[in-house]
Amino acid sequence: MKRRIISVVLAALMTLSLAACGSKSEDASGNDDSNSEKSIEEMSFDELKEAAKGSTVTFYGWGGDEKLNEWLDDVFAPQMKEKYDITMERVPMDIDQILSQLSGEIQAGEEDGSIDMIWINGENFQSAKENNMLYGPFTDRLPNFNDYIDTESEDVTLDFAYPIEGYEAPYGKAQMVLVGDTAVTSEFPKSAEELLEFVKKYPGKVTYPALPDFTGSVFVRSIIYEICGYEQFLNMEADKETVKEAVEPAMEYLRQLNPYLWNEGKTFPDSSTTLDNMFADGEVILNVTYDAFATAVKIEEGTYTETTQTFQFDKGTIGNTNFMAIAANSQNKAGAMVAINEMMSPEIQADRYNTLKVLPVVDYDKLSDEQKEEFDKVDLGKGTIPQDELLAKRLPEMPAELVPIIEEIWEEEVVGK
Amino acid sequence: MKTRNNRMIKIILMFFALLIVVPVVWMIIWAFTERWAWPDILPQVFSFRAVEGILRKSTRLGQMMLSSVFISLAVAALAVVIGTMTARALVLYQFKGRDVLYFCSILPFMVPVTVFAMGIQVTFIKLGWNNTVWGVICAHLVCSLPYAVRLLMDGTEALGDGLEEQARVLGASEGQAFFRVTLPLLVPVLLSAFSMAYIVSFSQYFLTLLIGGGQVKTFTIVMVPYLQGGDRNIACVYSVIFLGITLVLFGIFEWTAGKVSKNNSTEFYS
Repeated sequence: MKRRIISVVLAALMTLSLAACGSKSEDASGNDDSNSEKSIEEMSFDELKEAAKGSTVTFYGWGGDEKLNEWLDDVFAPQMKEKYDITMERVPMDIDQILSQLSGEIQAGEEDGSIDMIWINGENFQSAKENNMLYGPFTDRLPNFNDYIDTESEDVTLDFAYPIEGYEAPYGKAQMVLVGDTAVTSEFPKSAEELLEFVKKYPGKVTYPALPDFTGSVFVRSIIYEICGYEQFLNMEADKETVKEAVEPAMEYLRQLNPYLWNEGKTFPDSSTTLDNMFADGEVILNVTYDAFATAVKIEEGTYTETTQTFQFDKGTIGNTNFMAIAANSQNKAGAMVAINEMMSPEIQADRYNTLKVLPVVDYDKLSDEQKEEFDKVDLGKGTIPQDELLAKRLPEMPAELVPIIEEIWEEEVVGK
Repeated sequence: MKTRNNRMIKIILMFFALLIVVPVVWMIIWAFTERWAWPDILPQVFSFRAVEGILRKSTRLGQMMLSSVFISLAVAALAVVIGTMTARALVLYQFKGRDVLYFCSILPFMVPVTVFAMGIQVTFIKLGWNNTVWGVICAHLVCSLPYAVRLLMDGTEALGDGLEEQARVLGASEGQAFFRVTLPLLVPVLLSAFSMAYIVSFSQYFLTLLIGGGQVKTFTIVMVPYLQGGDRNIACVYSVIFLGITLVLFGIFEWTAGKVSKNNSTEFYS
């Protein structure tokens, strides 16, 4: 739904901007900017650092995670200030609004846009890149990207099977896991068939977030992988009929689940955060999350019980990477590149792994022994799956274009049926 | 009969008071609660995590709160000034296009804020007003004005211009008649209009986000992500603070208005 609103808005903005095409006064300044742009393109990384000194970089992204916000404000920002004399400004905003603001600025011909760095991935990245709203390619110019990241791995070259081509740099990895409480139930469903048995045993105690919520969406895709296998989707054509035919067995399965779900599958929780709260309250006994290690944090805080445990399907679960991109009209591209480079440094990634329990994006084999130790000594805490086990059962994402189609099919074929 | 009526009124009042008090108490409990699972009647895990987190950034939060209050006060003040002039023009004068103008003055009621925000954003970017406090004030003003105008029109209508004419007959200049007769009598309505405009501006999220580009940081800009993010205790702490600020400010408005109109007791709608 949200995505549909955005597309309508984009269309509306374009029409509006047509009306404004009469004013060509920006031309002069536009030329100016393309000149300075060129020099940024030619700069070495050290020159970029020099150019960014004393500047401010805005980082736009989802702001609902207090731990992450605090980390960005209290750990990352001071380090950027000290090391590079760059002031980081975190702006909490949903990706839909970020893209609508960005497109608004670009349509209005704003050359010194307010958005520098963006936290993004998946179909949002694809639509932003295809609409020329992002700056790049830039990743190959960042030393930490070249030194510590496995630039060949599909986690880094593809975002939901869409080629990245240097337009975004990895920020953190996510992988879908299921969460249950061993005090409530001893047997966890390790496959789709077992899940069906599970919901029959605990009617009304299981549900998943309504699509197009990210987590709800990945849950349904995982079910599709379970039932239809995943290979056929990797190069499937983004055509609704084709997709519908391919996923029909999975939709049939989801319809079978419905009568045993919370509220008999007539309605679903509106978002993953609602489901998190329902799980914490004991209203449901199974949770789905993208944040593979977040359970450890929640147990530590006391939101979840000590006996909470994450698990995954035996055939594996979907994992993806989230990224940082730079707005096409960013007024501080040099600063943004320095900040993004810093975010990929082993020290910062290890710190994120330690405090936030985010799966790191650096390639372990490329690290020095000391750096490896930084990662090795991290205690993941209670209730989590060890990282190597988790990554061993990591399935790739579907092409980004298939995601909205599947969400549409789910809305038509599953809800209330 | 009368006593029974009184009791009914009391019961209804109690009911409404509960409707307000219970959620507030709930919110205060949740501000300190980490887990409160079914079927326990009391929370299982209390913590100061949310409160501590907010205290840790109290300086940043304080600055943001001040700027937020400043923006809303500016909006309210402008809305009352413009609203009074509009109301007087529409109520006391007959001129061509008056009805059209009246319709236009309440038009913002009919256009959803989201639609308005998306449309005005591009215009503001062209004017260079986006990401500025001034731009946000202007945008908020559009949303606040209809409330102020409606309220002030009712007040002006009830007051009429009889007393003002009387003052003129007695030799007061136009300005004197307005500032020394009409305005003091209008204070209660001005207060309502001011408070209404203030709260409309203070609770504006989407509009502030789009026009301010996330860089004009008001209280809601920081609060709403936590509401959406489902972090209940942090959301509750923010909500309690929001409520606190609003209550204190409304107390101040009320007190100031009381001071000003101490010697006049106006009977509206008598």
